Amino acid sequence: MFFLHNLERRVTLHPSYFGRNMHDLVTTKLVKDVEGTCAGDYYIIAIMDTFDVSEGRILPGSGLAEFTVGYRAVVWRPFKGEVVDAIAYSVNPHGFFAQAGPLRLFVSSHLMPDEIQYDANATPPQFTNNADMVIEPGTHVRVKIIGLRTEVGEMWAIGSINGDFLGCLQA
Amino acid sequence: MSSHDPRYGGDSDSDDDNFNPAPADLSDDENNAQDTRARKTNRNEPRTSSPAVEEQEDDDEDEVQPPAGKQPRIAQLDEEEDEEEEDEEEQNDNEDDEEEDDEDEDDVQGGHRRKRRKDRRAAFFDIEAEVDDEDEGEDDEKDGEEIEDFIDNAHPDDIADSGRMNDDRRHRELDRRREMEASLDAEKQAEILRERYGKRAPARGYGDSAVVPKRLLLPSVEDPSIWAVRCKEGKEREVVFSIIRRVEERLGTKNEMPIISAFERGGINSVMKGYIYVEAQRQNDIMIALDGVLNVYPRTKMILVEIKDMPDLLRVIKTPNLEPGAWVRLKKPAKHAGDLAQVLDVTENGLEARVRYIPRLDYGVRDEMTTAEGKRKRPGLPGPRPPQRLFSEVEARKRHPRNIVDNPQTNTWTYMGEDFEHGFLVKDIKIQQLEVKDVNPTLEEVTKFASGAEDGTENLDLKALAASLKDSNTNVAYVPGDVIEVYEGEQRGVIGKATNVQGDIVTLQVTEGDLAGQTIEVPNKGLRKRFRPGDHVKVIGGSRFREEVGMVVKIVDDRVTLLTDQTNTEITVFSKDLREADDIGGQGSLGQYSLLDLVQLDPTTVGCIIKVDRESLVVLDQNGDTRQVMPSQITNKLPKRKTAVAADRNGSEIRLDDVVREYGGQQRQGKIIHIHRSFIYLHSNTTSENAGVFVTRSNNVNTIAAKGGRINNASSGPDLSSMNPALKRNPAGPNMQPPKSFGPDRAMGQTVTVKKGGYKGLLGIVKDTTDTHARVELHTKGKIITVPKADLAFKDKITGRPIDINTRGRGGFGGGGGRGGFGSSGAGDWSGGSRTPMASGGSERTPAWSSSKSSARTPAWSRNPDTSGSRTPAWGDGSRTVNPYDGSRTSYGGATSYGGGSRTPAWSSGAKTPAPDSFGHGSKTPAYGGGGDAWGSKTPAYGAPTPGASGTDSWGYTPGASGSHAFDAPTPGANLGAPTPAALNAPTPGVYSAPTPAAVSAPTPGAWQGGWGADTAPTPAVGAPTPAAYYGAPTPAAYGAPETPAASGPRYTDDD
Repeated sequence: MFFLHNLERRVTLHPSYFGRNMHDLVTTKLVKDVEGTCAGDYYIIAIMDTFDVSEGRILPGSGLAEFTVGYRAVVWRPFKGEVVDAIAYSVNPHGFFAQAGPLRLFVSSHLMPDEIQYDANATPPQFTNNADMVIEPGTHVRVKIIGLRTEVGEMWAIGSINGDFLGCLQA
Repeated sequence: MSSHDPRYGGDSDSDDDNFNPAPADLSDDENNAQDTRARKTNRNEPRTSSPAVEEQEDDDEDEVQPPAGKQPRIAQLDEEEDEEEEDEEEQNDNEDDEEEDDEDEDDVQGGHRRKRRKDRRAAFFDIEAEVDDEDEGEDDEKDGEEIEDFIDNAHPDDIADSGRMNDDRRHRELDRRREMEASLDAEKQAEILRERYGKRAPARGYGDSAVVPKRLLLPSVEDPSIWAVRCKEGKEREVVFSIIRRVEERLGTKNEMPIISAFERGGINSVMKGYIYVEAQRQNDIMIALDGVLNVYPRTKMILVEIKDMPDLLRVIKTPNLEPGAWVRLKKPAKHAGDLAQVLDVTENGLEARVRYIPRLDYGVRDEMTTAEGKRKRPGLPGPRPPQRLFSEVEARKRHPRNIVDNPQTNTWTYMGEDFEHGFLVKDIKIQQLEVKDVNPTLEEVTKFASGAEDGTENLDLKALAASLKDSNTNVAYVPGDVIEVYEGEQRGVIGKATNVQGDIVTLQVTEGDLAGQTIEVPNKGLRKRFRPGDHVKVIGGSRFREEVGMVVKIVDDRVTLLTDQTNTEITVFSKDLREADDIGGQGSLGQYSLLDLVQLDPTTVGCIIKVDRESLVVLDQNGDTRQVMPSQITNKLPKRKTAVAADRNGSEIRLDDVVREYGGQQRQGKIIHIHRSFIYLHSNTTSENAGVFVTRSNNVNTIAAKGGRINNASSGPDLSSMNPALKRNPAGPNMQPPKSFGPDRAMGQTVTVKKGGYKGLLGIVKDTTDTHARVELHTKGKIITVPKADLAFKDKITGRPIDINTRGRGGFGGGGGRGGFGSSGAGDWSGGSRTPMASGGSERTPAWSSSKSSARTPAWSRNPDTSGSRTPAWGDGSRTVNPYDGSRTSYGGATSYGGGSRTPAWSSGAKTPAPDSFGHGSKTPAYGGGGDAWGSKTPAYGAPTPGASGTDSWGYTPGASGSHAFDAPTPGANLGAPTPAALNAPTPGVYSAPTPAAVSAPTPGAWQGGWGADTAPTPAVGAPTPAAYYGAPTPAAYGAPETPAASGPRYTDDD
């Protein structure tokens, strides 16, 4: 789910950049550092704006200046039970991998309807129910997240297409 | 040993296992007579055909005809296999048949009885007639078995005789009955049938299911008592057997044994060992019966077993079920005690198991040893037991060629009377001699078995392994917070969270269902941990997947399938081996090796770790093969070389983290994680095979995206948390190492004082040195001490003034006065500057210097002292350019001495473009000025003759970072200058200086500088002085003129 989230971050700036445009630099650095990253259990998609760039404080020892910046960002936090659209990128006999934006998902063959079977003879290999559903790399699928794992800088989910309206999206 | 009446023992469907199983050696025939009688007396007792109950029945070896009116109540525990028993019964039936034929006719109500009888005649009866029996199918099976057994086991003679007789009779009977039935009309027939079978169901229910309330079966005061009689420990069974024999002997004689039954519950671990139990009416009967039996002591105190304890005497302790594939430990062959063995098969009687284990053979080596010593040890005596090794035919043949019988087709041998299959020793071993509980095989042990498969495939049977492990429920540890499900017992289905665990009792806070919110206590036995798909779990316990972490994808009963984090593969484990995982990743490393590391396997092979197991690693070697290795098999780990570069098939450079695609083949695409020689390891997320790693040759890939930090950096702007590159002067090559000094250590033989430590202040002479320390012979004590070199201050031998030995060393050319001159010239400020090339080097080096004692360093200087001030820059410039050639030391020293000056562009530019430019190959000089190398222009020498001058002003303001890098980094002058001063000299100033004294001092550019300064003063040098004077002041170049006030200026300029 997407949220508009107020966040705060400390940005450090090398003394060699001190000057009139310091705040711009701070904002630039913030965007560079933060946008598109995974902050624990959510992704920071985009920074809307910054407000409240604090006065810089020189860090003892290094001489870097530290600014505390409040900013507003669009974040995406996937939830257990959330249904997301994803694109399959790899299919193997155990299931398929899909990518929902930055989030990688695995859909195990146990978590598919029974009629969907792995077909190793197709090229590329695919999951299919021999009717309308064909899941191969590149297929758009609608997946329900059933488990999430967060790592440093990465999230990872297990999904299921066992349910109504889940599975292949007919383009 | 038992009574025929099953009533007592009928309660135990599950207790069908034998305890102390051992084949009973008895003759069927003898028993038959007896059996028959027993049966006759019991005819009206409810009989049962339930297999469980039948098993409870036992042979009659020790059975004594019960005293009239009394019926034996206690079923002896079964010490015999079922078949024998059944088979025996068959024979009984056989004999009974004749007597009972007439009874059969009116046997309408005795459904249960009929059932019993039925088996013999089933073959002849129209089975259809009895189909109303619910258990028909089952019974049929049973019947089938029994008949088979009968035919198989009975005496052929018996069959011949009685069988034929029966045949005729039965056929006739059957015919008769059919005729009769046919003659009746349907209604009557139905009536008869109803009469015949109608009551059967309820009656059967009673007898069949043996659900006689237990308490009715319990012994009462009227029943015979049981006494425990002492006997010799371990001889319990023998005693019972001898009693059996005695019963048989005296059967039918006057003095029949007055006891009802006798049994024992011995065993090594039994608490009832040392006793046999005898059932009799009176104690005296026992005395009579046991009189003269060996090893039993009826005269010592007999213990009367209390009535309430009687049932406990017969409680059966369930022996664990052995399944083929299960793991056990050997107890018996002492040599193998404790070794792991795998059950191949269990004999049908459940007494022995065929197991295989790794032999401990010495192939007779030890025999020889002992005979050589002259004394023969008994085999099996404890000694060093040979290590476990698979059987080797070759070794066996070496010493015992006669004792080996082989069968190469099946890969089996017989050696010294033992069978070996595929290297394993295969043997039938009594189950008592196996440790079947708490086996807990370790992975190593199990792997030894696994690797023994013929085809080399790993045939680890997780299921069997789990089964072995599962028995030991003890290692299931529940911790508060576990979500637990009760799957067995009254509370079945309850789900809750453990709040407390005490011993075997788990306190649950029920979370679901009707009991939600309540707290219940349940024994840990019927519990299992509960997980849900999506849970993040870690494998604990003995499974070979231990430490794996993953997400649950499927749960069936207590088997949980999870997808591992590490390798994205699915594994199935028992829920007891799982717990919620807080941590992530699991074991990514084993020792120093972690996933995706590059390791050296042997001198020619490297591999990338693609899987980390508990004790081993799986690596993908450079040929694309995977192999499993132990950490000890790895030579070393190859550190990731960030700078490694390879060329793809188009010749473009590829580095780590670049994304490339295979050309041809499978066109796999991946990110480079290692480059090793011509092989590159790629990682891809699209496949989970080999953890997504594959290897290919670098000339077989095309670059897709060169990301490796090259292109990106340029576009993303400077790093705001480190120095602004725009402000850096010389970022590229700041870390030039001071050149190595060659030749003998200059400290040798120097006069020094010790600056620190206990010898502080003492004067001495350096006698010997290492890199860091010096051995100093003290003047005062006449003693040699070892002192760190850093703690020494070098002194002039004569004057005692502090000196710098490095400069001194160089100063070989021109006396030691340089220092003094320097000092006098006020260069003392340059503290570090003692080493400054121009200061010291310059001054000392040239003979000119020494000749021009004081401050005039170059002939040029001395010649135009008046212009000295104006010259300074020129001079400095010169010295700058010169120094690089002067020798490695100087140039670098120069770099240091400048402090900031090492960065001073002037210096570097000068170094770089030594003379040529300044000599009016002016073409180049403008390049400096105009090319934005503001620094270049700093060297007034260049600037002077050229428009570079203009550049000079600019440098102060515009650091011209880029430009300066470009030039400074390579500073060929500096570098080249160091090793080949002469070489450079020659082409450049050397030409000019040839005629000058510099010729002599070819290696010391200072000299030529001076030299040509003198000669060509008119040209650049002269030209230089003027403009240089102006520029020189602000520039570090001015360093060159210690005498000039300008000298200090540049240093600060540099610093900003």
